[in-house]
Amino acid sequence: KTDQLYGHYCSCLFWLNHRLKELLRAKLTECGWRDQLKAHCKDVIKEKGLEHVTVEDLVVEITPKGRVLVPDSVKKELLQRIRAFLAQHAT
Amino acid sequence: MKMEDMSLSGLDNTKLEALAQDIYSDLVEDACLGLCFEVHRAVKQGYFFLDDTDQESMKDFEIVDQPGVDIFGQVYNQWKNKECVCPNCNRSIAASRFAPHLEKCLGMGRNSSRIANRRIASSNNMNNKSESDQEDNDDVNDNDWSYGSEKKKRKSDKVFLHSLKQHIPLVSFIAVEIHVLYVVFLSTCNCKGANR
Repeated sequence: KTDQLYGHYCSCLFWLNHRLKELLRAKLTECGWRDQLKAHCKDVIKEKGLEHVTVEDLVVEITPKGRVLVPDSVKKELLQRIRAFLAQHAT
Repeated sequence: MKMEDMSLSGLDNTKLEALAQDIYSDLVEDACLGLCFEVHRAVKQGYFFLDDTDQESMKDFEIVDQPGVDIFGQVYNQWKNKECVCPNCNRSIAASRFAPHLEKCLGMGRNSSRIANRRIASSNNMNNKSESDQEDNDDVNDNDWSYGSEKKKRKSDKVFLHSLKQHIPLVSFIAVEIHVLYVVFLSTCNCKGANR
């Protein structure tokens, strides 16, 4: 099962994760993903009320939408980099 | 989550692909969570809706570009020629001269010991006092050291402080010597006790 697999981290995967985090963040800002989601956040806040909105409220509403809204080009590039890294380290 | 340093070489292609998807999925979720935390903090700190301000109000916060005034529109050198009252001598001093005056007035600061020395030297020449041993003066002025308003008292305070500064290396050396002797004494006592 993939969960068990991913649970055994190689130390090199930490490094990969760290490097790609920054790259992903930059790309998502560039393509307007952040602004889109922020607008969606505003709706959630208006619905729940400024005083009462919690992190949970936001996470539950935003994360599924965020996953879907990632542009295909960004997804493609990221997967490409990951696969290349894994191929390099698996031999 | 248990972490072992497992090598990737044992994995076949399907497993590697599944791993790649997992890593990607984690990265995206991390980005989403990051955004949620940022937004939540902005909401709770009150700056989330700041960029929704209408054009009219925004004009109040535009950068000011006029001479004699800073970017907020405040006059920035209006305190230059104000006068302050010194809490020590109760004189009225100009603001730009206040800090140096206070240094000398309170007898602190970098130059005050030099000035004190000079005054002592000049007063010695005038009064023909035998100032070979400054310690005699110290005992006389030993009881209180305060920021007195009388000039005479302040001068002897400076003398006291100055001579004390000279003796500090000697005093600390003696203190160290005493400490060393004490430690040696203690250890010899312990040895004697152990042997019995």
